[in-house]
Amino acid sequence: MITVKNLKKTFDDTPVLESINLEVKKGEVVCLVGASGSGKTTLLRCLNLLETPDEGSIRIGDKEVSFGEDKLSKKDIKDIRRYSGMVFQGFHLFPHMTLLENITQAPLTAKQQDKETIMKEASVLLERVGLSEHQDKFPDALSGGQQQRAAIARALMMHPEVMLFDEPTSALDPQLVREVLKVIESLAKEGQTMVIVTHEMNFARRIADKAFFMDEGYILESGPAEQVLTDPKEDRTREFLALLEDE
Amino acid sequence: MFETFGNIRWEYLFDYELAIDSLPFLLQGLRITMVIALFSMFFALMLGVVIGVARMSKFAIFHLPARLYISFMRGTPLLVFVFILYYGLPVIGLEFNNAVVAAIVGVSLNFGGYLAEVVRSAILSVPRGQWEAAATLQMDYFQTLRKIVIPQATRIALPPTFNIFMDVVKGTSLASVITVQELLYSARLVAGRTYDSMTMYISAALIYWMVCIVIGYFQDRLEIRYNRYLSK
Repeated sequence: MITVKNLKKTFDDTPVLESINLEVKKGEVVCLVGASGSGKTTLLRCLNLLETPDEGSIRIGDKEVSFGEDKLSKKDIKDIRRYSGMVFQGFHLFPHMTLLENITQAPLTAKQQDKETIMKEASVLLERVGLSEHQDKFPDALSGGQQQRAAIARALMMHPEVMLFDEPTSALDPQLVREVLKVIESLAKEGQTMVIVTHEMNFARRIADKAFFMDEGYILESGPAEQVLTDPKEDRTREFLALLEDE
Repeated sequence: MFETFGNIRWEYLFDYELAIDSLPFLLQGLRITMVIALFSMFFALMLGVVIGVARMSKFAIFHLPARLYISFMRGTPLLVFVFILYYGLPVIGLEFNNAVVAAIVGVSLNFGGYLAEVVRSAILSVPRGQWEAAATLQMDYFQTLRKIVIPQATRIALPPTFNIFMDVVKGTSLASVITVQELLYSARLVAGRTYDSMTMYISAALIYWMVCIVIGYFQDRLEIRYNRYLSK
């Protein structure tokens, strides 16, 4: 589903990603973990070209782009983004639209389906994330957990092959984290391919097939989530996990 | 400061009868004032959007002329600009056949520069996350601008835009110096005839004020509508 080869990225001469290689198979759930500043969010944002890598290549689905010589065309960017949906740490719902409008705006704009189908699907999805009774409210009237669940529904409306989650629960009050994780977990059970940047280690152990531990722009350790997150080989990974346990 | 301080003739402060008698005449002037103001505001808004968006372009052929335009319009007095249009241009063989048109052109072009900055700052105030979310939902630049950014930017732009609208209404009084018989010019005519400058200019001032109160009322209504999605 996703193949990343030799990816490199610098911000103003500071390297943030170095020789990144990773593969995600269809139906897999992959977690990116690591300290802040380790490059995991940047890596995730490279997967839908919100950031443009300097070198290397990314293949998602049938689309492959490589970076370096030529500037990316608008079409390349569009083609890559077609495969993925993204959920942000800060939700980024459209504040001037009701929840229903939020989740139907993109499919209605894309016009790949007729309106009736889109509306039907929207109400099924809202039901599924438990927001049916809030569909006519504005985001500002909802809790962070509700907003994030709506943001997940919004991304799902475009039928992405891969869902990208950028610290989906980091901006939430502790008591709201579970309701969001439950939605993500139910997606995992359905076989949705996902790449998740998270600090929720128990959650990651439970649902992830693979885990990548990132440190200073490198993938330092990768393997089955259970092993990487419970019994890592590298000292740095061990230190990082121990630090989280302390909290 | 005053030559006759201590001997103020309060009875001449405001002559109600003259004010009421001359009101229909002033209102005729107001009609011209409003024609200039409404047309000017309309064109200034169009200009403001185009120049404001051009100013944000990453291409120099767009943002450099936009910067120059904004700089000139903000840096020159409207009165001087109107003089250039009405008294200057005929020297090189370009003449407005109608002073009202010259006033509309002058006021529109001038305030277009200010509105360009309002448009730019309002669009920039929409968080980057909104653009990014729309991009990940496969919306293109203009779809995002139209459906996501402009509705939110409008809310931010409302108060400064209405400020400028009021400035436009008041700025039309400069048309009186290029012989347009608008509100101030009409007041001056009566003042000249009756020698009661105080009453006539106070009357004109009150009428401008009333117009701005009405504009302020529309501002409030629009703000309520555009703020309805915020809880507090």
